[in-house]
Amino acid sequence: MPVLLLPAALAALLALAIPLAIHLARRSEAQPTDFAALQWLRQKPRPRSRLRFDEWLLLAARLLLLALVVLWLALPVLPGSADRTPVVAVLPGVSATPAEGTRAVWLAPGFPDSRTPEPASAASVFSLVRQLDAELAPGVPLRIIVPTVLQGADAERPRLSRRVDWQIVPGAMAAPAPVRAAPPSLSLRQPSGPDRGLRYLRAAAAAWTPPGQPPAFDTAAPDAPLPRPPRVLAWLAPGPLPATVRAWIEAGGTALVPQDSEAGNAADTVVWRDETGAAVATARPLGKGRLLRFARPLDAGALPILLDPDFPRQLAALLGDAPPLPTRVAARDVRPVTGAPAWPQPARNLQPWLALLIAALFIAERWLATRRTRAPAP
Amino acid sequence: MSPDLIPPAVRNRLKTLRITARRAVDLQGIGLHHSRSRGAGLEFAQFRAYERGDEPRAIDWKLYARSDRFFVRESERESPLALWLLVDASASMAQADPGRPDWSRLAAARSLAACAAELAMQQGDRFGFIGLSHAGLSLLAAGSGIRQRDRLALELRRLDAGGGFPAPGQLAPLWDRVGAHDLVVMISDFFDPATLDLAARLAAARREVVAIEVLTVTERDFPYRGGYRFRDPETGEELLGDGAALRDEFFARFGAARSERHARLDSLGIRHAALFLDEQLDIPLRRLFGAQAAAEYR
Repeated sequence: MPVLLLPAALAALLALAIPLAIHLARRSEAQPTDFAALQWLRQKPRPRSRLRFDEWLLLAARLLLLALVVLWLALPVLPGSADRTPVVAVLPGVSATPAEGTRAVWLAPGFPDSRTPEPASAASVFSLVRQLDAELAPGVPLRIIVPTVLQGADAERPRLSRRVDWQIVPGAMAAPAPVRAAPPSLSLRQPSGPDRGLRYLRAAAAAWTPPGQPPAFDTAAPDAPLPRPPRVLAWLAPGPLPATVRAWIEAGGTALVPQDSEAGNAADTVVWRDETGAAVATARPLGKGRLLRFARPLDAGALPILLDPDFPRQLAALLGDAPPLPTRVAARDVRPVTGAPAWPQPARNLQPWLALLIAALFIAERWLATRRTRAPAP
Repeated sequence: MSPDLIPPAVRNRLKTLRITARRAVDLQGIGLHHSRSRGAGLEFAQFRAYERGDEPRAIDWKLYARSDRFFVRESERESPLALWLLVDASASMAQADPGRPDWSRLAAARSLAACAAELAMQQGDRFGFIGLSHAGLSLLAAGSGIRQRDRLALELRRLDAGGGFPAPGQLAPLWDRVGAHDLVVMISDFFDPATLDLAARLAAARREVVAIEVLTVTERDFPYRGGYRFRDPETGEELLGDGAALRDEFFARFGAARSERHARLDSLGIRHAALFLDEQLDIPLRRLFGAQAAAEYR
């Protein structure tokens, strides 16, 4: 059942009165007829103002044309015209023959037909599953054929709007090449004295170090020579930032400073927030380098995230390189669950078809208006 | 306007017609009018210099032999009948039928006048023309011959319909020209009572009057259906009416008016005939001047 997206445009149907009025006005202005024997005509009450339409075919064509233009303006769409054939989505790398009467697609970006060559699977499987669910009309059966082990999963089970036939066949997706991320190496500079957060940073740096390798950090006094980039400098000395450190940063280094060594600045952008949304660290460009500044004092009371198990990874991500999240999962453990709201399907736009109809009707109207056998104007 | 006022078919049929006048025949004696006296008259009047257009046979060749100049011998005798063609040129005469917009009442009246003049010319009678238009009378003094016919054709073509019937004061020259016992053919629609009055006065003043009323087809058939705005061309009065509703009553009233008019014409001794615009031109002439009619009035 077509639906109008802009029903207010139907008010333009009032324009239908225009051709009618013109037609009737042209009729009613009776042309004066010379009649010399007028004195023997009796004055009658006005002629019966009977509405008479001549050229009714032309009039109807024009009215219809106008009505269609108004309908075109009202943006008609036809919802529920989506394909309702069952869909079988096959993950690339799985050999499966879809049943008859189904539409088989690759579970790959764009969902190409499964008769096309097998595309490379790059995107996240679950994103594709969610997208496919959203793009199908409600109630369309969906079967997804997956291998036993999936790669590219994310942390949440797919939550879909329909019940999915999650068919697991033997096989495994090609495992992505292991990314061996080199953790950032940290140079800690702190004078002897009270701890200003050194141990948290040192612990995080120790956590980055793969087992069996020497730790990728060094601890020294502030007067030790500054490291060479890309080593990250953690400057924990009290007091304002010395000019040498500032120059080192401007030359292209990255430095991590506590809250009290540098005043806040309008150029600061929050680059790290904790679970409550409070700022953990801000960053500011300084010359060619980058100055990262903790937004709060480096103790567990002011900054609880220091005790969070994820703190080392988040800090590594902030400093540049974080180890990738695990994406390999057994397919039977991530069977999609239902409960997501159904997505409204895009309705088919009827405007182009209506435009075609209008054009055809316009040609017909022109033909009617200019044909040779047309009666002389009344 | 066609180049010739008389259609060829009508011209052919005109040969059997003859203009007759009741009084002229009675007064001038038998044979005078019907003798187709051509050319010079019986009683010599004068010689006059030849003018272009004079018939060569009118030239006195003996005088030419003596004087080496062309002289035309004119006769005193006039043909016994003068035919006056009175053509109404009021605005109502401009009305034509929708089916044939160029054939107006006035066009038919022009052709009728030309036909009558042709008849008169063939008989050697004199004929004159008076156009009755609101601007006054357009007069052509009575005469005979081919040149007179051409002058008449010129006058007829010059005639244009418009306005109303001339006021009685404007009609004074008419009485100077139209002599007693002359035959007056009035061609009009006779819708204006003034035309009828003029005919009555002419008849009362011992002019023989013949009336030809020219009527349109719409006045006979009233083919109007649906709403029309009828307009009187003379008064400009308008009437909005439904054709079908007006039809019956129009027939009744128009027919009554016509028969009343005919009764008055009959009582005045005025012969009359009607021409509807889709009829042949010679029908009223035949009715008035045909063999039967001539015999009737002999």
